[in-house]
Amino acid sequence: MAFQEPAAEHLAGAAAETFNAGRTILEHVSNSSREHPLIHLPTLAGIDFSVTKHVLMLWLVAGTVFVLVTWAIRRYLRQDRLVPSGFMNALEAIVEFVRDSIVLPNVGKKWVNTWTPLVLTLFIFIVSANAIGLIPIFDVLGVLNHWVLHAGEESFIVRVMHGGSTATANFNVTAALATITFLAIIVAGTKAHGFVKHWENLVPHGLAAPIYVILIPIELMGMFVRPFALTMRLAANMTGGHIAILAILSFVFLFTERFGTAIAGIGVGFVLSVPMAFGISLLEIIVVLVQAYVFSLLTAVFIGMAIHVHH
Amino acid sequence: MDNPLVQPDPGLYIWTILTFLVLLTALAKFAWGPLLKALESRQATIRKSLDDAKLATEELARLQQESAQIVRQARVEAEAIISQSRTDAARLRDEMRQKAKAESDGIVKNAERQIQLETTRALEQIRHEAIDLSVAIASKIIQRNLSKEDNEKLIDEALRQVETRKH
Repeated sequence: MAFQEPAAEHLAGAAAETFNAGRTILEHVSNSSREHPLIHLPTLAGIDFSVTKHVLMLWLVAGTVFVLVTWAIRRYLRQDRLVPSGFMNALEAIVEFVRDSIVLPNVGKKWVNTWTPLVLTLFIFIVSANAIGLIPIFDVLGVLNHWVLHAGEESFIVRVMHGGSTATANFNVTAALATITFLAIIVAGTKAHGFVKHWENLVPHGLAAPIYVILIPIELMGMFVRPFALTMRLAANMTGGHIAILAILSFVFLFTERFGTAIAGIGVGFVLSVPMAFGISLLEIIVVLVQAYVFSLLTAVFIGMAIHVHH
Repeated sequence: MDNPLVQPDPGLYIWTILTFLVLLTALAKFAWGPLLKALESRQATIRKSLDDAKLATEELARLQQESAQIVRQARVEAEAIISQSRTDAARLRDEMRQKAKAESDGIVKNAERQIQLETTRALEQIRHEAIDLSVAIASKIIQRNLSKEDNEKLIDEALRQVETRKH
């Protein structure tokens, strides 16, 4: 792997070596290298289970989400009157939105309580994982390390700064989430119609035999295309915005290098890079919400299609 | 496959599934399950309170209508009672007046009869006294007492004369 330089060094301007924008951007959006994981774990059945940056981010997001959500809901349910306030207000609005606008119209009244927890968890988890990438936690940590901490190259603090912090920008993560959807579709169909009937429902009944020769492969392909589309849509959207922001910000360093003075870079930064990056960041807030919404909505739609077969 | 963006990472894939399933189970058990149940029961409570409020409003409207009806009826009844008592009073007044008139008439008639009687009796007495006086006067004039038979004959004669004079 060629992406081993610490992020802080790039942020500082990479005075010694020439600035490679592409490499820096990739370093900031991709996972930390598996050759230097945060926690080294043994390889099981040829699979390396070492904890990389994205695994850590997933845990961080899952832990934060669980603690915040459970704490808020438990506190809320302890009241004798169910009047939400503060954070719970927002959480309840999300829960009711997901239940009444995403799950209910697709899966119907009978199954709404079965599938709301899954879609809710998907939505909250994806929103949080998306959003944490917009918060420059590790960049602040890098600055802090550069000026205050001076941690060693092999310390956890320096190693944790490598790689992007948006786990949902990694297609391995989104593929795993899409696999959950894929399995949920099968479970939903099986629960509603029985295992055999679910697979029979894949194609319409009572057609001429030659049509099935075409239709069955198409429907089987469709089964896999749906989670594949989910995987690519989320990962690409999360990666794209970050690449755009980083590319615009890299103008600062490119101009500094091109004109041999930091004033040029800082000028471009003030006039062009920061305002544009700010604009794209605002756009990213929308993208973060929309992509989580699209993923949850499509999951609900696919589950609904397995329950209410329209052929 | 030098681009880190397209590197398959089965470890990360499995970690994601595990993390997500653990989060899903934990949240479903400790957060979503109780919350969804509570939201549903609250929804039922709100629906019931709204229904109750609607029923109460309807009941109130019905009661108001009923009380207005009662007041209206009471007013009509009161008017009827007043007019009835007015006619009753008028009748009673008339009756009493008639009764009083009849009574006074009776008293007057009685008095008249009494007067008539007294007058007759007085006249009778006067007549007797006049007879006695006449006899006395006549005896004095005659200077002697007549026999009993003469007396009676004279008296009768005198009376007859008086009677005839009267007519």
